[in-house]
Amino acid sequence: MPFHDLTDVQLDALKEVSNIGMGHAATALSQMIGQRIVLRVPRVSITEISKVPEHLGGAETLMVGVTLQILGDARGSIMLLFPQESAHRLLCCLLQREERTLVMTELTVSALKEVGNILASAYLSAIGNLLHKTLIPSVPLLSYDMAGAVVDYVLIDLSQTGSLALMVETDFSGDDQGSRQIRGHFFLMPDPQTLDIFLRVVAGEP
Amino acid sequence: MSERVGIAELRIARAPEVLKAYGLGSCLAIALYDAGTRVGGLVHSLLPTRRPGDAPGDATKYVDAAIRQMVEELAAAGADPARLQAKIAGGANMFETDYVTLMHSIGVRNARSARETLLELGIPLAGEEVGGNRGRTVAFDLATGHLLVYCARENRTTTL
Repeated sequence: MPFHDLTDVQLDALKEVSNIGMGHAATALSQMIGQRIVLRVPRVSITEISKVPEHLGGAETLMVGVTLQILGDARGSIMLLFPQESAHRLLCCLLQREERTLVMTELTVSALKEVGNILASAYLSAIGNLLHKTLIPSVPLLSYDMAGAVVDYVLIDLSQTGSLALMVETDFSGDDQGSRQIRGHFFLMPDPQTLDIFLRVVAGEP
Repeated sequence: MSERVGIAELRIARAPEVLKAYGLGSCLAIALYDAGTRVGGLVHSLLPTRRPGDAPGDATKYVDAAIRQMVEELAAAGADPARLQAKIAGGANMFETDYVTLMHSIGVRNARSARETLLELGIPLAGEEVGGNRGRTVAFDLATGHLLVYCARENRTTTL
């Protein structure tokens, strides 16, 4: 099914599935950093691929992106994006020390990739259970650069099947609403056949 | 005055306009310029080549098809195809890995496709800033034909 044919009901169903997946991911992340993290799915949307960087605060905004391929019974990709300050705060929590600025070293890159890995694995296993499918995340890859540049890799992958993308946007926020807030976006981009599988299961069809 | 060229978009403009493409990763920006009429175009393409099975339309998504379409549109806008010069930027590999996959070489293939298409059309390549693992923003100044390439992470601007 082409993305643009999705009804509001189907979008709601996808949002619900994602909320469940995100609940599991939040638990895993909270345990890892020893601080409660809440993940919300405010929007599931279908977007023209060329508009994606604008949704993220502009193509030139510096972001940390972690991407993984979805392998197994369904295919697609996952992209996790953190604004610069949030990636910085997340690292301070993970490494249990105050870092002055966000610097990419072997240690920080590996720590951020690990966050991506945990979130994606928890999310995929929750969704997989729901759908009775085996979903396996690939090794995570990381890039720290302009949002547009970080994202276009995923867009290229998507553009081979069409020019619309399904985005499951997710906000991460800590318990305290103060200065330590961590925000991020989680994009799930199932390929069209995978989206079909999701929708059939969500609609209760065999 | 400056105009934005989004992903898979093509713009034709003349002096004194400036065309900009923001945040290029493995995408490629191709600028064609006729210094005589000071008419030029900028395209922001995603994929190296258009294949027979690909959907019609969307020519600007593909480097090779985008260049051909841009040449036609430039000629229609009064540019002399024989005087065109090209500059390219982008084609990075944003996510470095220890192993090579088809997806990861897409930036390199985009740049190669541009060089091959330009060679076929007999358009000289006057400058390029491609490859590596950095994102780029380009500004194409139709008054001078210069292509400014900005890398946010290194806070560095190169002029082609």
